[in-house]
Amino acid sequence: MTRSCALTVLGILLSIALAVTIVKPAVGQAPKSGGVLNVTQREDLAQGFSIHETATISTVWPSSPCFNNLVLFDPTKPVESMDTIVPELAEKWSWQDNNRNLVLFLRKGVKWHDGQPFTSKDVKYTFDVVREAKDAPAKLRINPRKDWYANVTNIEAPDPHTVIFHLKRPQPSLLMMLATGYSPVYPAHVPPAEFRTRCVGTGPFKLKEWRRGEYIEYVKNPDYWAKGRPYLDGLRYVIIPERGTRTAAIQAGRVDISFPGETSKAASEQIKAAVPKMVIRQVGSNVNDNLLLNTKKPPFDNVKVRRAFSLAIDRRSYVKAVHQGGAVVGASMQPKPYGFWGLLDKDLNQLPGYGKPTDDKAKAKQLLAEAGFTPANPLKVEVKTRAIAIYVDFSSFVINELKQVGVDATLTQIETAQWHPLATRRDYLVGTNLTGLGIDDPDGNFYENFACGSPRNYTDYCDEEVMKRFDQQSQELDTKKRMAMVWDIQKRLEMDGARPMMGWRLDYFTHWPYVKGLVPHHNIYNYGRLQDVWIDK
Amino acid sequence: MKTYVAHRLGIAVLTLFGMSVVIFVLMRLAPGDIVDILFAAAGYVNEADKKLIMQELGIDQPIWVQYVEWLKGIFSGDLGKSYRYDQPAWDVIRPLIPVTVELAILATVISVIIGVPTGVISAVRQDTTLDYVLRVFSLAGLSMPSFWLGMVIILGLVAWAGWIPPLTYVSPRENFPIHAVQFLLPALAVGYRSSALLMRITRSAVLEVMREDYVRTARAKGQRERLVIWRHAFKNAVLPVVTVIDIEFAFLIGGLVVTETVFNMPGVARFLVQAILWRDYPVVQNLVMFIAVVVILSNLVVDLLYGWLDPRVRYAE
Repeated sequence: MTRSCALTVLGILLSIALAVTIVKPAVGQAPKSGGVLNVTQREDLAQGFSIHETATISTVWPSSPCFNNLVLFDPTKPVESMDTIVPELAEKWSWQDNNRNLVLFLRKGVKWHDGQPFTSKDVKYTFDVVREAKDAPAKLRINPRKDWYANVTNIEAPDPHTVIFHLKRPQPSLLMMLATGYSPVYPAHVPPAEFRTRCVGTGPFKLKEWRRGEYIEYVKNPDYWAKGRPYLDGLRYVIIPERGTRTAAIQAGRVDISFPGETSKAASEQIKAAVPKMVIRQVGSNVNDNLLLNTKKPPFDNVKVRRAFSLAIDRRSYVKAVHQGGAVVGASMQPKPYGFWGLLDKDLNQLPGYGKPTDDKAKAKQLLAEAGFTPANPLKVEVKTRAIAIYVDFSSFVINELKQVGVDATLTQIETAQWHPLATRRDYLVGTNLTGLGIDDPDGNFYENFACGSPRNYTDYCDEEVMKRFDQQSQELDTKKRMAMVWDIQKRLEMDGARPMMGWRLDYFTHWPYVKGLVPHHNIYNYGRLQDVWIDK
Repeated sequence: MKTYVAHRLGIAVLTLFGMSVVIFVLMRLAPGDIVDILFAAAGYVNEADKKLIMQELGIDQPIWVQYVEWLKGIFSGDLGKSYRYDQPAWDVIRPLIPVTVELAILATVISVIIGVPTGVISAVRQDTTLDYVLRVFSLAGLSMPSFWLGMVIILGLVAWAGWIPPLTYVSPRENFPIHAVQFLLPALAVGYRSSALLMRITRSAVLEVMREDYVRTARAKGQRERLVIWRHAFKNAVLPVVTVIDIEFAFLIGGLVVTETVFNMPGVARFLVQAILWRDYPVVQNLVMFIAVVVILSNLVVDLLYGWLDPRVRYAE
């Protein structure tokens, strides 16, 4: 080796060593204890800390530090799957009887914030209440996730530290459902109604004060079962309803981290320009924009019309125009690399609305003509949506695209208080909607949004053959085989115009560089525990 | 004067009663209710459970029964229970009142400090450069919505100093300087707009009386110009100015929605909007009644001031 060559090699090695040092200063850095983290909260708590009675991130995010689950998605990994589930109140688990029984072995020595011991009775109580078992000792006022546990026949607590979930048929995704932020374990000795005003959990932080409309404050739980955690002395969720003030607050350092799913690409670019050292992480949110076509009312009972609508809307332009690139295209499961089950691009390109826009629009016109709608006899529809800017932007784009294939579409805005009663009554022909999914699993999506008779299946799409396929994939234990089934189902749903997907929103989660140990997930609901977060300043 | 006061009080009580009926009926006429909003979290409405919750909250009763219950509650000191927070409405409302009242008083004081002297100066120096400058200043104040000015203040502070006021309420006992800054900025944003209005009213009122005979007489008697302006002209021009101050103060109690939102102040107006969106009837009814009481009381105070300032107004005597 010549001298110059040796120097070059040495130079490269030194550069690599330097780069590694610069890029990863936190690797190996021991977490520091102390400090209070100021957290953004976009609105006041809806229904207090009662996670089991809500389906909104506005409750899950600020309530999560109070609770524990049986199992949890690994806080250090942004992608959520069966492989990233870690123990929490259950130290270990085991599938038995050909995957019909899930046995969970509980952690010992855990106490509720009021000093009572945590036992298997609490677990049985919680999930009997949620699944509305016949002998459930309490009732939730509103129960959005009852259907998640429809396959559970019985929950047994043979001893204080063992719980068994008995199932009608194998359902590996049960563990996924238990791992979400939506599945905290409640104490059996506190009525569920009390969670609307206070919180008694086993979690890393104890509630200190909730000042309505202002803040929610937690202090470290000194008796927490995970020794050495949490690192922070406390958390303060500052309620800031105005979006501009929220952005200003993080820019000025008044809050340390943003609210999950709230920072758009444009806002993140503005913050980065103002504060270059700010850390911005692009993650999936598991929230999709979707088009609702009422399959029970003409002309949308005709699959040709539904497919024509789907063909008319160019998904890639949608993502660019409505989200300024801050979203990705995908069918009914969150696309890769953010989600686990999403269709690949090559498959998406074959679906209505994902191909060449001119060709798709021509096909749309042809299908509309076959259904009897021509320029002389155009289809007239009212597109109903919530009177909120993000919904209206979405709808305006859809209306414009529909006009290009000869559909005479108009916009009707519905106040939020009216939207869900209207959706429940199916009182619309066309609607635009946002759907957030608590878990990236087909069972958490298909049964809720596409199954016959489900109250949240707003389009009333119902196909017995598709239902069978839902059940088949649900009990398939081989992930590869299940993946193939799930891909087929997604293609079928898009071809049927069951609920055409427009795009999947991305989040640009923003935090100050001194906030360590916080890894935002590709799902807004599941990383709120914050027990591993620490402050380096 | 006693008859005059009694007459005004009678009218105030009648107005409050009318307001209570209007508020109650209007809220019930709005589409949707708290139960629909609660179910929004579930993504659908379960009719069977909805009936149970309506029963639990007492909103399944006929509207007149609900109204009578509310009135009975007011007279027995029970304002009902917030549907959203599941706790006494008074406990929810109580912390909001001092924030808004302090903000409104501070904004009013700022508007008077700026608006009245500049109005008088502008009138006295009519058609001079100073007059034109002050008129442009007031025109700018009237043209700029206070929420926009508030946002500019916040963004400006963030951009230039990397700082914004605290986002949660800091009591004066906790930290007076921070408390003062927290209130001063929104009060300035709102007070500037009010001061512009006040300046214009003061200017035109002073201009009008400056042409009166008694002002000319005072000058002819050789009184100093400052005495002529403040003792003779301004004192007689003060009635419309007091009216505007009153109207602005009363407006601020309920009209600070956007300013409170932009500055994240936990006050009456911001909370009221949230409560309306949630159809939290007990909170909305009582908050609107509070605003109505403030408006009626401040009108009463001005009416009494009128009677005191100008004996001709005491027509009832």
